[in-house]
Amino acid sequence: MTAPQRQPTLDCGGVEVGDRLPPLVIEVTATVIVAGAIATRDFMPVHHDQRYANAQGAPDIFMNILSDTAYCSRFLTDWAGPEAMVKRLAIRLGVPVFPGSTLTYTGAVTATSQVDGEGIVEVELRATTDLGDHVTGTAVLGLPVTARTG
Amino acid sequence: MPDETGDEAVRFRDRLVELVGRPVGSGVSVAPDPVNQPMIRHWAAAFEDHNPVYVDPEFAACTRFGGIVAPPLMLQTWVMATPKITGIAERGGSPVETEGDGPLSVFDEAGFVGTLASNSEFEIERYLHLGEVIAASTVIESISEEKQTRIGPGHFVTWVTTYVDEAGEVVARQRFRILKFRPDSR
Repeated sequence: MTAPQRQPTLDCGGVEVGDRLPPLVIEVTATVIVAGAIATRDFMPVHHDQRYANAQGAPDIFMNILSDTAYCSRFLTDWAGPEAMVKRLAIRLGVPVFPGSTLTYTGAVTATSQVDGEGIVEVELRATTDLGDHVTGTAVLGLPVTARTG
Repeated sequence: MPDETGDEAVRFRDRLVELVGRPVGSGVSVAPDPVNQPMIRHWAAAFEDHNPVYVDPEFAACTRFGGIVAPPLMLQTWVMATPKITGIAERGGSPVETEGDGPLSVFDEAGFVGTLASNSEFEIERYLHLGEVIAASTVIESISEEKQTRIGPGHFVTWVTTYVDEAGEVVARQRFRILKFRPDSR
């Protein structure tokens, strides 16, 4: 039996400043929000109990921050591949995300370098809904550098 | 509410200065369970993250990680306290019963009762493997001067969580910033 073939990890040499990451689109439902909250072990009622959220002044349950950072890492490694390492992720939080919204992650490469034999790629990213920016931020990924012969 | 120009305001500022360096919560939180495949699989399914290094041992063994690794942003999940579901709403959403007032009660007493998460920043030194038990300690790093924001006056509070492995080596650091604000009544 051979090792399963999956998408390859990007070679740092092939990444250029200005490259755009394929967008990640999440159709947000109550199920999406609750699944994310519980998988991250966040039991705050505002992320699963609509009545509680209403009593807090929110129109509905809303996505938790651990889900935001989870989707950020998925967005990055869906593009960069399984051996990419998320070294840094810094996000600023904007408008909340409620069921019924479409959450779209976009991003682009802002810098590339090599440090200690590892490719370093910096990315600027943003997640938006029709209400505005939900998340804006930056990330640093480490990519293995393929040894080239000849 | 404190008189901004009186002794009360001076005393409030002194109390804020004292908070810097203080632990948040119980000090050190040890993960209730080691890094494990069932929780990783649950997480990967919830976010539909199909990265094989999280769930496919055969694939992961051939990567630079040398085996299954936990999703890097699961860090906080490993150290979340086991929640007590009964009474969670009555406790204002706090998943666990806390003894006494936390350090941030200083703000509530001064009328800065609102809380809004503003920034989260992770620096990740290495990925975690199955079986590792991590611990996290959190201290208040800084408190801003009072700022006028679009939702009312408030202070930005930044805390730093340091995640360590069983050998005490740092695996990651997280900076988290919230705004404690006085809701605009106008």
